[in-house]
Amino acid sequence: MIINTYNKTGENAELLADLNSEYRDRRKDAVKRVIANMTVGKDVSSLFPHVVKNMQTEDLEMKKLVYLYLMNYAKSNPDLVILAVNTFVKDTDHVNPLIRALAIRTMGCIRVDKILDHLCEPLRKCLEDDDPYVRKTAAICVAKLWDLDQERALENGFVTILQGLVSDSNPMVVANAVTALAEMQESSETKDIFVVNVAIMNKMLAALNECTEWGQIAILTSLAEYRPLDSKEAESICERVMPRLQHANGSVVLSAIKVLMILLRYINNDEFVKGLIRKMSPPLVTLLSSAPEVQYVSLRNINLILQKRPDILQNDVRVFFCKYNDPPYVKREKLEIIIKLCNDKNIEQILSELKEYASEVDVDFVRKAVRAIGRCAIKIDEASERCVNVLLDLINTKVNYVVQEAIIVIKDIFRKYPKRYEAIIPTLCQNLDSLDEPEAKGSLIWIIGEYAERIDNADELIENFLETFLEENSRVQLQLLTATVKLFLKKPSQSEEIVHRVLQTATEEIDNPDTRDRAFVYWRLLSTNPQAAKAVVLSEKPPISVETNTVSPALMDELINNISTLASVYHKPPTAFMGNKAYSADAVKKAAAAE
Amino acid sequence: MGSIFSRILGRLWGDKEVRILILGLDGAGKTTILYRLQVGEVVTTIPTIGFNVETVQYKNIKFQVWDLGGQTSIRPYWRCYYANTDAVIYVVDSVDRDRVSTAKEELMAMLEEEELKDAALLVFANKQDMAGAMTAAEVSDALGLSTLMNRQWSIYKTSAVKGEGLTEGLDWLINIMQK
Repeated sequence: MIINTYNKTGENAELLADLNSEYRDRRKDAVKRVIANMTVGKDVSSLFPHVVKNMQTEDLEMKKLVYLYLMNYAKSNPDLVILAVNTFVKDTDHVNPLIRALAIRTMGCIRVDKILDHLCEPLRKCLEDDDPYVRKTAAICVAKLWDLDQERALENGFVTILQGLVSDSNPMVVANAVTALAEMQESSETKDIFVVNVAIMNKMLAALNECTEWGQIAILTSLAEYRPLDSKEAESICERVMPRLQHANGSVVLSAIKVLMILLRYINNDEFVKGLIRKMSPPLVTLLSSAPEVQYVSLRNINLILQKRPDILQNDVRVFFCKYNDPPYVKREKLEIIIKLCNDKNIEQILSELKEYASEVDVDFVRKAVRAIGRCAIKIDEASERCVNVLLDLINTKVNYVVQEAIIVIKDIFRKYPKRYEAIIPTLCQNLDSLDEPEAKGSLIWIIGEYAERIDNADELIENFLETFLEENSRVQLQLLTATVKLFLKKPSQSEEIVHRVLQTATEEIDNPDTRDRAFVYWRLLSTNPQAAKAVVLSEKPPISVETNTVSPALMDELINNISTLASVYHKPPTAFMGNKAYSADAVKKAAAAE
Repeated sequence: MGSIFSRILGRLWGDKEVRILILGLDGAGKTTILYRLQVGEVVTTIPTIGFNVETVQYKNIKFQVWDLGGQTSIRPYWRCYYANTDAVIYVVDSVDRDRVSTAKEELMAMLEEEELKDAALLVFANKQDMAGAMTAAEVSDALGLSTLMNRQWSIYKTSAVKGEGLTEGLDWLINIMQK
C-alpha cells in the first residue's frame, strides 16, 4: 500500500515536470499520459492547473485531450476552472467551426456554477453562429445550462433563441433544438417552454426527412405531443410520417409507429385507418429480424399495439414462431403474441407449432407452450376440440411436467366448456401417480370432485389422495376438502365415511386456519341443512374467459403515448418506475457515494 | 553541412522555448502588450479570465509569452505558472497611483517564490501616452526596485497603444539571457 502511494505521487511529480516542459512534444506526451491515467481510474486531479496550461494550442489533438481532462476534473477543482475560461472564450471565436463547437460543447459539460457567468456570452455567439454545426452544438448547451440554472437561461434570452432555432434552415439544428426544448419542457415548472403548435409541427415535419436518425427520433417524439384539430389534419401528418416506417433504425420505426398510433385516435375515416394499419405491419415484422434484445423490445411493443389494434399483423403469425436458438425471453414474448394472434383460420398452424414446442428441452418453455394450447382452446370455441386432442396426445407422452401442465390447463378448459369433454376424464385419472406439483394435483382433484357422478371409482381416487392428506400443500388440502364434500353430496351412500373422516382430520389436526375453517363451514352446512350445502357447493360456476388483454384501457392510452420507451417494455406507466429525477446520473452517483 | 548546422542551432534554440510571464494588476495592459508584441497591432481586449499564451518571434528567438489575468480572484493562481520561467515582465499602470502600492505587494510576494529566483525582471511603466503618468523613476521608487538583491532587473517606460518602449525592453531581456 505504501509503495503504491509512493509510486503514484512519484508518477504525478514526473508528469507535472513534463507538463511544464520547454519542449512541445514532451508536453503533449505528458498530457497523453495524464489522460491514460485518468481513463484507468488513477487520480490525476492534482495536475489540473498544469494540464490547463496546455489548453491554448493550435494542435487540435492536444486541445481535445485537455478538454477531455477538463470535463472529467472540473467538478473536483471548481475554483481553478476559471483559469480555462479565457481559452474557452477565445476558442469560441476561432476560425475553425469544429473548434468553436468543441469549445462550447466542453463548456456546457463542465457544470460548475462559477463559470456560468462566463459561459453566457460565448453561448450567445455560438447560438447565432454562421456554421450549423456550431449552432446545433450550442442548442444542446442551452439545455445543459437550463439544468443548472433555469433563471439564468431565461434571463439571457437563450430559451427564446432556442425556440427560434426550431425554424432554422438546417434540419440538424432543428432536431437538436427540439431535443433540447423537449428536455427543458420536462423539467420546467410552467410547462410553456415547448408547446407543439401547428407552426412548430410544420417546421418539424419539414426537417424530419433530412436529419440523422437520432434527430428523427427526437422530432417524432415531440410530434407525438401534438394533438391535431381534426381528422383531415391527422391524416396529412400520418402521410408525412409514414415514410419513416422504412427506416433501418428500429427506434425510428417504433417512434413513427407511436406517432401513428396516437394520430389514429383522431382519424374517423375508416378506409384510411385500415390502410394505415395495413402499412404498419411490415415494418413491425422487419424489426423481428434484428438482434434478440431489439426483438424483445419490439415484441413487448407489438404486444401493446395488438391489444389496442387487434386487426394488425393478422396474417403474419408465422413470423412469431420461435426459432430453436431464440433466447428464452424472446420465446416467451413470442408465445404471448401467438396467442393474441390466434383465430379460427390459423389455429391449425398454431397448434402444430405449439405441439412442436411442447417436445423441446427447455422445461419452462414447454410448460408455457402447453399452457398456450389451453389458452387457445379457451379463446376459440371452434378449436377447443382440436386443442383438447393435442393435449391428450401430450399427456400420452407421459413426460412428467408435460402431463402436469396439461392437466392444469384441461381444468381451465373444463371450466370454460362444462360437460363437453367428460370422455377424457379416465385418461387423466390414469396419470394420478405421476402428479407431484400442488397445482396439478389440485386441478385433478377439482376435476374428480366436479365430475364425481361420472367417475365410477371417484371415492377410491379421493381415498387414494387422502392417504397423504396431512402432508399435502394447503392448496391441495383445500381442493381435497371441497372435492370430498362434492363427492358426498353427489354420492352420499359411498362416501359418508370418507367425508366424516376428512372433516374430522381437517378440524382437529390441521393448524392452517384456512383449511380448518373451511372444514368447519362444510361440517356445519352439512349437519344443519344438506339442501343448502348442495346449493352452495354444487352451484353453477361462471365460465372463465382467458384474459389476453393484460392492460386496462386507461393505462393503454398512456402506454401508447410511451411506445418505444421503457414504459412500453415494462407495460407500466413511467411514473411507476421513474421517481422524481431519482434515476438521474447525479442522483445515482450520490446514492453510490452514500453507500 | 547546412543541415548539421541547423540541427546544432535547433538544439540550442529551436524547439526549446524561452518562457516569459507577463504579470501585473488588472487593467495594466498585459494582454495589449502581448498582442502588440505578437501581431504588432492594438487589438481590443476583454478582461482576461484565465490566461493567454502566444509564441512571439523576436530577433530569431522564440518566446513563449504567458499573459495571466490580473483580477484579484486569479492572482493566487499565478504561482501555478512560475515553473521553468526565464523572465517576468511586470506591467504597471503608471496612471493608477492609488494601486501602485498593491502592485508593489504583489511584485514582492512573487519575487520571493523559489521557482522564480533565477528569473530576470523587466518592469514596464505602461500607459505613458496618458496625461499624468508617473515617470519610470517614480514607478521604480514606488515599487522599491532599488532594494532588490541578487536580481537582474530593469525598468522601461512604455505605451502599448503606441508601441513605444516595448522593443527596447525585449532587447534588454535578450541581452541578459544570452550572457
